[in-house]
Amino acid sequence: MADSIIELKNVSTVYEGERVPAIRDIDLTLESGEFVAIIGPNGAGKTTLLETINGLLPHTRGQVRVLGQDVARFGPQLRSQIGYVPQEFQFDETTPVLVRDVVLMGRYGRIGLFRRPTAEDYVRVQEALELLGLAELAERPLGKLSGGQQQKVLLARALAKEPKILLLDEPFSHLDFVAREEVAELIARWHRERSLTVLIVLHDLEAIPRSCHRVVLLNGGRILHDGARERVVRAFTLAHKE
Amino acid sequence: MYGLPWSLIGTLVSGAALTGAACGLLGTFVVRLRLSSLGFTMSHAAFAGAALGLALGIEPLTLALVGAILTAAVLGPIAERAKLPADVITGVLFPLTMALGLIFLSLAPGTAMSSSALGLLWGSLFAMTREDLFRLLGLAGAIALTVWLFFKEFQALLFDRKLAEESGVPTRPFYYLILFLTGVTIALALRLVGGLLVFVLLQSPAATAFQFFYDLKKIFFWAALFGVIYAGAGLGLSFAFDLPLGSAIVLISTLGFGLAVWRSPKRRRA
Repeated sequence: MADSIIELKNVSTVYEGERVPAIRDIDLTLESGEFVAIIGPNGAGKTTLLETINGLLPHTRGQVRVLGQDVARFGPQLRSQIGYVPQEFQFDETTPVLVRDVVLMGRYGRIGLFRRPTAEDYVRVQEALELLGLAELAERPLGKLSGGQQQKVLLARALAKEPKILLLDEPFSHLDFVAREEVAELIARWHRERSLTVLIVLHDLEAIPRSCHRVVLLNGGRILHDGARERVVRAFTLAHKE
Repeated sequence: MYGLPWSLIGTLVSGAALTGAACGLLGTFVVRLRLSSLGFTMSHAAFAGAALGLALGIEPLTLALVGAILTAAVLGPIAERAKLPADVITGVLFPLTMALGLIFLSLAPGTAMSSSALGLLWGSLFAMTREDLFRLLGLAGAIALTVWLFFKEFQALLFDRKLAEESGVPTRPFYYLILFLTGVTIALALRLVGGLLVFVLLQSPAATAFQFFYDLKKIFFWAALFGVIYAGAGLGLSFAFDLPLGSAIVLISTLGFGLAVWRSPKRRRA
């Protein structure tokens, strides 16, 4: 039997100052090496779910365990092993950081306190930059890049971490069609070759990668369907027609 | 030079340089994390604390430290959670800290506008002692060491706090460390620059450096250097035209920042 790598039991998350949970009564288990898509309409709680899993948002009820450990207690240590590409990002032109530094920063949690990045850290950064076709932009200021390039930088940052889990929140939203295909293929390859567990949030059903066989449908903060891709996508499409 | 003993001139120049360097380094955090309103309020709380010290006959520096750090401890969590816009914090607390400072000054023995009281407001060339100089030396060294030790954590925090947390860097201790050091720096810089104007050294040198560089190491270095230049040039201007030191530093800093915005390569089209 495969190991549970992400385990949520009866989890609810309420934002500060709010009374209604953004996600509620979530039971979700991911086995090691699974590739799962989360779909749902705007405001369904998809981003909240991802950020509850990596502990950026503290959950208010239930239990979240990642890699066998409690996220509430071991958040920073766990996050150093989880790659995350957020949906929302905005870097103005004067942001004082270069592309190479942004990607390297993804590894800071692994490197730990009082330690400097080593030659190996820089090798991983260079690999990630090359994988995403960003090597020539390494010394450019992040704020000078287009939205699509910035999204690729954040993806490179997540991959440079050599994560065990990859959480992707609308990772294609700023990419053109060709770049989207390339990035989807790259994610699929990493999933396949490195037994990476991937959880990807999408609202465009066409964008669900081919290697993703399990889909979770979220609405109103609750899981409505969780199962085989075709069945859940059909349920979502029918619900939208009604 | 102006009939002053060289030892005093040496103390003044060194004091100005160390104050400028410490403020420039910390200003990098203040500018990037948009802590201006917090720093502004802290500097006036330090002024109120020092004025209370004068009124009670206690060392003003001690109570200035208490005022600045207490403000950081109270306002830090509020600013961190961003539940109150920065201008609301400043709008409410700036008049309060100023009012308290002026009340305490009026309670000080002797005339309210004695030279020590005026020194607290505008800064004073002659308020700096050798002890102050050693304190400033310790502070500047401590800030430089802290930045060197935790450079990557600070870099992540200054880039994007959420992404820093995401990469596994716990940002809260570093955020509060910055606030604590800012409080101490403001209190120690008070004598030289004055409670009303100390904040300019936390803002202008770093804001000037940000106009030119994207690399954080260079920004830290140049912010400290601009701090030294502004404080040193302000000292010269104050000597030359018999101006209050704080005001002279403000004039130089504003001019420097204005020139930097004008010549900034970040604003130039290719």
